Amino acid sequence: MHRTTVGLIGVGRIGRMHAENLIQISEARLKAVASPHLDQVWAETLGIPVRTTDFDVVLGDPEIEAVVIAASSDLHIELIRRTAEAGKHIFCEKPVAFEPGPIEEILKITNDRGIRLQVGFNRRFDPSILKASEIVRDGEIGDIHTVRVTNRDPIPPDIDFVKRSGGLFFDFTVHDFDAVRFLSGSEIVELFAVGEVLVDPRIGAAGDIDTAVITLRLANGALAVIDNSRHAVYGQDQRFEVFGSSGSVACDNTRATFTSTSTTEGVFSERLHGSFGDRYQEAFVAELRDFVRCVSEGETPAVGAEDALAAVRAAHAARRSLKENRPIRLGEMNEETEAPGEGGLR
Amino acid sequence: MKTIAIGILGAGRIGRLHGDNILQMEGIDRKAGADPYANFESWPPASVNTGRDPGLVLDDEAIDAVLICSPTPTHADFIERAAAAGKHIFCEKPIDLEPDRIKRTLEIVDRAGVKLQIGFNRRFDPTFARVKKEVAEGNVGDIHLIRITSRDPEAPPAEYVASSGGIFLDMTIHDYDMVRFLSGAEVVEVHAYGAVLVDPEIGEAGDVDTAITTLRLSNGALAVIENSRQAVYGYDQRVEVFGSKGSAEALNEVPAQIRLSTAVGVRSEKPLYFFLERYQASFVAELEAFFACVREDGAPAVDGQDGLMSVVVALAATRSRAVNRPMMVETRAVPPTGGRS
Repeated sequence: MHRTTVGLIGVGRIGRMHAENLIQISEARLKAVASPHLDQVWAETLGIPVRTTDFDVVLGDPEIEAVVIAASSDLHIELIRRTAEAGKHIFCEKPVAFEPGPIEEILKITNDRGIRLQVGFNRRFDPSILKASEIVRDGEIGDIHTVRVTNRDPIPPDIDFVKRSGGLFFDFTVHDFDAVRFLSGSEIVELFAVGEVLVDPRIGAAGDIDTAVITLRLANGALAVIDNSRHAVYGQDQRFEVFGSSGSVACDNTRATFTSTSTTEGVFSERLHGSFGDRYQEAFVAELRDFVRCVSEGETPAVGAEDALAAVRAAHAARRSLKENRPIRLGEMNEETEAPGEGGLR
Repeated sequence: MKTIAIGILGAGRIGRLHGDNILQMEGIDRKAGADPYANFESWPPASVNTGRDPGLVLDDEAIDAVLICSPTPTHADFIERAAAAGKHIFCEKPIDLEPDRIKRTLEIVDRAGVKLQIGFNRRFDPTFARVKKEVAEGNVGDIHLIRITSRDPEAPPAEYVASSGGIFLDMTIHDYDMVRFLSGAEVVEVHAYGAVLVDPEIGEAGDVDTAITTLRLSNGALAVIENSRQAVYGYDQRVEVFGSKGSAEALNEVPAQIRLSTAVGVRSEKPLYFFLERYQASFVAELEAFFACVREDGAPAVDGQDGLMSVVVALAATRSRAVNRPMMVETRAVPPTGGRS
């Protein structure tokens, strides 16, 4: 069996998780990790041979075929460009960029050089969401009429993160824009966003919102709705539903176990997952496994820069809709791309 | 217990439903029924005074209260005539499709000092009432989001659609009332998207059959309502109130709590078919509440103001869809009373 040799850049929360997942994937060999804040003990425990604070060590290693980029968001574009120049295939965490322009540029570079680029929209690899998309695609629910996504986080992010996150739509709702596109198999043509600061006034002070409802029109004529909160006290609330002319398909929340306890007080099931890492554990492994397979077999990854581009365009439209309090056609956004700036949304 | 003599205006589906439900109630004398189009041979029983003339109900001094179950265009007239005759009034939604007319009617009701309750039966559904109780007791904390899914099992005929006032006035109006009921807040802004995906004839009649309404509420919360005229699997009626301390949800109710597991998969029951099945208990409970308020001289649980606001919001949604921009809802322009005692 061919084992794809992989390097990893960035070992924050997501980077560590990717490293630990890569170790489990027998088709991959994690040869090197690079991060200015590298935890040597942790990397050694995982048995990663090359541990460095300099990402050029990873990019210059001729044995490494593919690089997983999990560094901070502001470095993504530069790292993708450098990795592509080094002729290596790329898995990049979202957001690839906050602006469409750099993503278009990356799309061109990777296409020209025959570089495989996969973007970390992990949900597409979640078994339930994947299954739902297959049921829709197979026509079991008929023509699509509405798509519904609920995405609520169990713990609000810290304020420093909010300030550099690009704002709720860029950091959080991008996953939902992608889920709507994935489940519907259609493009977003227009949207209307409302948002509020109901969870934490400091999020508002940082110029962002923490609660939002976005309604969307899709190219196939269907409607969609996304609701977001930064703080669901009961855990990671992730629900999806596609409703159509012949019925509906829904993905309900998952839990660590499916026990049910009945007492004089009522019937209790387990609390929802406490983090996206737990909720999407299988998806995080599956996305990397599929990336490694695509690299090894010379296939185009299931989710690429085009998808990142579509999600970022939707995020820009949502930001503008919130600001101007009117529906925004995505076509209106082509001309203009303002920088999100600090916090970004308000 | 003092017997309340009632008359029913309108002997269509909902009028007969109320008339039959009242038979189970103590202390209610079903005295008269009027409907210009109904055939009273088979309904109700002979002891009830029936005929085509609404005067049979409105001019009978022995009648204490009327149930108005006639077509919408007659509601405001009948309310005004009943109020002038000193009768208490239970009226199906909507009072009228014109807010100014509703306001005039409510002023007449106020001056007459009679009770007016509007038929937003879902407030009396045991499941939704329980969600409301959880919210009222603070178990979900401050409200952040309300989400309603409301889908009918089959689309009405296009002729009905053409005279219904449109999906927002005919169907979503219940959901606007549910948002106000669950939140205890007013709707301040509305945006609605609509599409014709179920039946092109509905589109030709100038309406939509699929819609999503976004609402901003006076307490700062957001709400979203998703509608379809046709869910092939039955009447899909779900609500969720999400807040700082958690969420309270009402799921669909099913005819039987069974689960069939086979080699093919797991199958449970479809939702109860339509509103008569799903909201059976609420139709009884709303009348019991109305009669209690008449007997005890209490305040109606769903008053004229509720009847007015649901129409105002529905009109704003209709307009929003037409011009594709959010519409402010004029809550302050509304008089503070209307059937409240």
